[in-house]
Amino acid sequence: MSQLDAVTLEVIWNRMIASVDEAAKAIVRTSFSTLSNEANDFACVLTDADGQLLAQNSGSIPSFIGTLPATVRHTLARFGRDGLHPGDVICTNDPWQGTGHLNDVSIVRPIFRDGNLIAFAATASHMPDIGGRIRSVEAREIFEEGFHIPLMKILRAGEADQTFFELLRTQVRTPEQTEGDIYAQITANYLIEDRVLAMLSEYGLKDLSELSLELNGRTEAAMRAAIADIPDGDYHYEMQTDGLRAGAPFTFALKLTVRGETVHFDFTGTSPEQPRAINCPFCYTYAMSAYAIKCALLPDIPNNSGMLRPITVEAPENSLLNPLPPAAVGARASTGHYVPILAFGALAKVMPERVMAAAGSPLWNCTQSGVRPNGQSYASNLFFNGGMGATVGSDGESVISWPSNLSCTPVEVAEQYAPLLFHYKRLRPNSGGGGQFRGGLGQDVLIENLSDSPIAVTFMAERTRFGAPGLAGGSDGEVGSVQIDGVEADNRAQHHLQKGARIKIATPGGGGYGPGKERREEDIKADHFFGYVEKD
Amino acid sequence: MTRYALGIDIGGTFTDVVLFDTEQGRRLTRKTLTTPGDPAVAVMQAVDQVLAEESIPPGEIERVVHATTLFTNALIEHKGARTALLTTAGFRDSLEIGRERKYDLYDLAAKKPRQLVPRDLRWEVDERMLADGAVHRALDVAALDDIASRLDGAGVTSLAIVFLHSYRNDSHERAAGERIAELLPDLAVSLSSDVAPEIREFERASTTVANAYIKPLARDYLNALSERLGARDITAPLLLMLSSGGLTHVGEVRRSPVQMLESGPAAGALAAADIGRAEGLEHVLAFDMGGTTAKLCLIDGDEPEIAYRFEAAREKRFAEGSGLPIRISAVELIEIGAGGGSIARLDGLGLLKAGPDSAGAVPGPVAYGRGGTAPTVTDADFALGYLGAEGFAGGAIEVDLASCRAALDALAGQAGLTPEQLAWGVHDLVNENMASAARVHIAEKGRDPRNYTLVATGGAGPVHAYYLAKKLGIRRVVCPRNAGVASALGLLLAPARVDRTAAFAAELDDMDWAKLEAAYQGLEAEARQVIADTGKSDARVQRLADMRNIGQGFELVVNLPTGPYSHDSGANLAEAYARAYQTHFTRPPPNVPVAIAAIRVRLTAPVEAAVNDLAGRGVQSSARSGRREVYFPEADGWVEAAVLDRAAMTIGDEFSGPAVVEEPESTMVIGPGGRFHVSANGNLIIELPEAAS
Repeated sequence: MSQLDAVTLEVIWNRMIASVDEAAKAIVRTSFSTLSNEANDFACVLTDADGQLLAQNSGSIPSFIGTLPATVRHTLARFGRDGLHPGDVICTNDPWQGTGHLNDVSIVRPIFRDGNLIAFAATASHMPDIGGRIRSVEAREIFEEGFHIPLMKILRAGEADQTFFELLRTQVRTPEQTEGDIYAQITANYLIEDRVLAMLSEYGLKDLSELSLELNGRTEAAMRAAIADIPDGDYHYEMQTDGLRAGAPFTFALKLTVRGETVHFDFTGTSPEQPRAINCPFCYTYAMSAYAIKCALLPDIPNNSGMLRPITVEAPENSLLNPLPPAAVGARASTGHYVPILAFGALAKVMPERVMAAAGSPLWNCTQSGVRPNGQSYASNLFFNGGMGATVGSDGESVISWPSNLSCTPVEVAEQYAPLLFHYKRLRPNSGGGGQFRGGLGQDVLIENLSDSPIAVTFMAERTRFGAPGLAGGSDGEVGSVQIDGVEADNRAQHHLQKGARIKIATPGGGGYGPGKERREEDIKADHFFGYVEKD
Repeated sequence: MTRYALGIDIGGTFTDVVLFDTEQGRRLTRKTLTTPGDPAVAVMQAVDQVLAEESIPPGEIERVVHATTLFTNALIEHKGARTALLTTAGFRDSLEIGRERKYDLYDLAAKKPRQLVPRDLRWEVDERMLADGAVHRALDVAALDDIASRLDGAGVTSLAIVFLHSYRNDSHERAAGERIAELLPDLAVSLSSDVAPEIREFERASTTVANAYIKPLARDYLNALSERLGARDITAPLLLMLSSGGLTHVGEVRRSPVQMLESGPAAGALAAADIGRAEGLEHVLAFDMGGTTAKLCLIDGDEPEIAYRFEAAREKRFAEGSGLPIRISAVELIEIGAGGGSIARLDGLGLLKAGPDSAGAVPGPVAYGRGGTAPTVTDADFALGYLGAEGFAGGAIEVDLASCRAALDALAGQAGLTPEQLAWGVHDLVNENMASAARVHIAEKGRDPRNYTLVATGGAGPVHAYYLAKKLGIRRVVCPRNAGVASALGLLLAPARVDRTAAFAAELDDMDWAKLEAAYQGLEAEARQVIADTGKSDARVQRLADMRNIGQGFELVVNLPTGPYSHDSGANLAEAYARAYQTHFTRPPPNVPVAIAAIRVRLTAPVEAAVNDLAGRGVQSSARSGRREVYFPEADGWVEAAVLDRAAMTIGDEFSGPAVVEEPESTMVIGPGGRFHVSANGNLIIELPEAAS
């Protein structure tokens, strides 16, 4: 039997994915961060000796597409092959070389066999705390955002750098838990190494180079073939979003160039970077661009580098989508989540049936801090999602996280943790953009402050001025809004609320698809019957 | 004189019946096709046949134990009752909003799992509890009259009532339930504080709604089955298998049928645990492979582990998150879309895939000659010689080997492989899929597969066990007699069991111990009553609690020392928590106060007539039934292997591979270098050779 036929390759690929999935379960099991263990806000990968991705854990969210292999390549560039030794562990949370913000720590472990560097195990995970301001878009520079770890060895030949860990423990609010989570990652990386070495022995392979060529080659060919089906051309899309203050919206611009078997993103024309933590480092912009292409063309094929090779991205320096140090980047998602929408808008010019109308994303949140009756201070962070966009053949799903995958906090848990009373949390009728296929609905939530002492409240809210655009003749989704005691509130400012004050959050609906007059009679009836659409 | 126990397991395709002679350790088994329209028909048919076989008087049956996938199927096929949901005003959409997550990250038309109650059947009533259980707004009882008439008008036959914070204070749910029952006495009512009294409104609602959805069905079905058994003079009490691996009486399941969703898989795990116990094995990986899925369950010590949440009715390729969250006690196991019917094909990259799509029972594998055209895992197993066409399934199925080979050859041509490479590829790949899922699950539990013994059951389990074990680095496989009906046998082993839970929020350092003790005793009294109604008296009590360090977003379920508790119990409970934490996180807990979020009790009472010899004993002398060409990759191809008749093997017999051992319900495959013998318990014990590398 030839060594790498259709069966052997599939079996070995499965085995490599299982090895990173095993590492992922080890992280879920042992990490303190609820973002890791409930929201899959982490990633585990295996790359070859050149930093080409071979396998990524199945559940990892789109933000991590391509980021860890890039971190591995930065590691190679920084230390060189000769500068890496068995037992070394490299760490960084640099937003530009890592995942786009300081909260994620990336850990890289070189894997050796018979003294030769043959692969890398790498993981990235959201820390319980990294110091700096808590979840605020207020930061002007990255220096305010927490402990910044340059690409460095934190274990040398298995020996931990105590200076590093002592510094880390001093800089964060949860020293034991942050350090514990980094060790959980180190353990996960070791597990990947163990599994990969066992697999190579079992199949009598010297290293991963032949596998990498074959797997990435096949995937690249499939992606190239899928791109080749798109007519060549330059496809433009432009969209405005809320901006930081009324009357000064941001512009996002994309020229998507399809030439033969390649696709190129050019974000020239996008607004400049801002003195707030909403800037989106290039690695995140790239991840979101690649995510859009994968959704549209090859949703079912596991991630690897071959898939990414035909996709190139450029964005002007010092723009929202390519900020440079020392820009603040903590809330990069509230900008980056617009990127796949831009890609779909451009692709819709030639292949509307493969994409989705805009979603009522990016994600919303409401952070409250105050003092409990017993004198303890608390901070509570609630997430809210809008509706998904419609696609050809299907209404958008209502109230769902996209493109990320963050759960909401149950009302019962939120009320147990903080002195709040929810009056309702319900679907928001009429918020989905109309069309042959309707956009998903957002939600209406009314929350009352039960605390005797005042609480401070901040928001992350988007699409309060510009609704999610419809596609192919579909209407835009309804804009979202934040009201305090019945009055529209400035969602970029902090508010201090007295007992009894009421916050009303209405998240945006998704855009519709296709002209409304084409909507089937029974779907219109069903919308009214179920109250998804209410007559005036 | 009563000496027989009857086990009945209704699966999606087959209904298995086992009649066990508790005096002589003999069993009579019967496998028959399930009759979905009226499942009792197949049951009675099979029961009549086993009774007739040895003219056993029905009066000699001392107990009947039953498991069924009927309720799970009703959820999957959306064939339950017309169900409504009544919620706190402002929250009727909680069920539809869910946790706002998607289970497929790359599907732009992604949908949440379809809910069982549409929006027009979800009503609200004015009432509100606070998080501490205090009444914020009184229940508007008068409004229930109007709701009742609307329920009636809409033809609703079952109602779920889910109010916010009812796990802390159930008085509004109870009052509403009682009022509605007065107005509509025929309506089935399920209260969330009764079915799943746990915090998190969506998961509690999902569980309660699922319960309501199957409640009328469960009532009618159990009544019908009891009647028909009675009509055959089988008067022994009907006991039912719970997802937790325990037994209960019919009344308890009528109240809360959702507890029975995983009854079949639980019975399979119990059987494997018992086989492990008999063979003195500390670590067992139970492997049950049937027509559409495979189930794997880790058993450390004597019992399968229990999880307190699972998903029912997964919609997409068994994907995590694509099912309905159910909060009950259930044997912890993983289910994979890998079975004999799994279809082989080439994907867009030209790589071979096996499953998760299945040919099911209809049209089935090509070899069954019932219209199947897509090659399946079973077809590959025939082509490799693992399954024998002659006398397959006891002669019930005429095997069409020519069509089977033709279908495989066509796929081999497309893949550029020889027919043997392709067939072995399908066998190997489905094993790899199961091994991958097992590795990930085992990693999740922080264990090492090499410490386990694989116990193979189900029709396809023994066929795939040898090479699955090899992939996992497992050196020993155990295959019981009648492996194909092991779940029905497992039913006869289950203890009576009750699990109960209640909310209880308090910090250990600041505990009102009298209140905690009273809460545990309250739950225990409730559970004891169910045990008594099941016909048992002495129950073993295990106390548990959901505990966490303050500030953590998740709880561990911790086994606690026995009560009663008093003010000096604090250190013991803290120690129990620290031990559980160390096991789970592989490090000691942080120095932060510990809190209890909920308490649980588990009562178990073993069956009186211990069925300690399920493994059975062969009595005839050893005899080979022949030889055939079988494909083994480590022998570089076709080998003439021994074909052995399981029924003819005797305790102590020793053999070496390559070989296949045939039973009517299944076939055990042993590769070259493997050695096997029949243990004192009548099980086949297969030792794999040490890995070549």
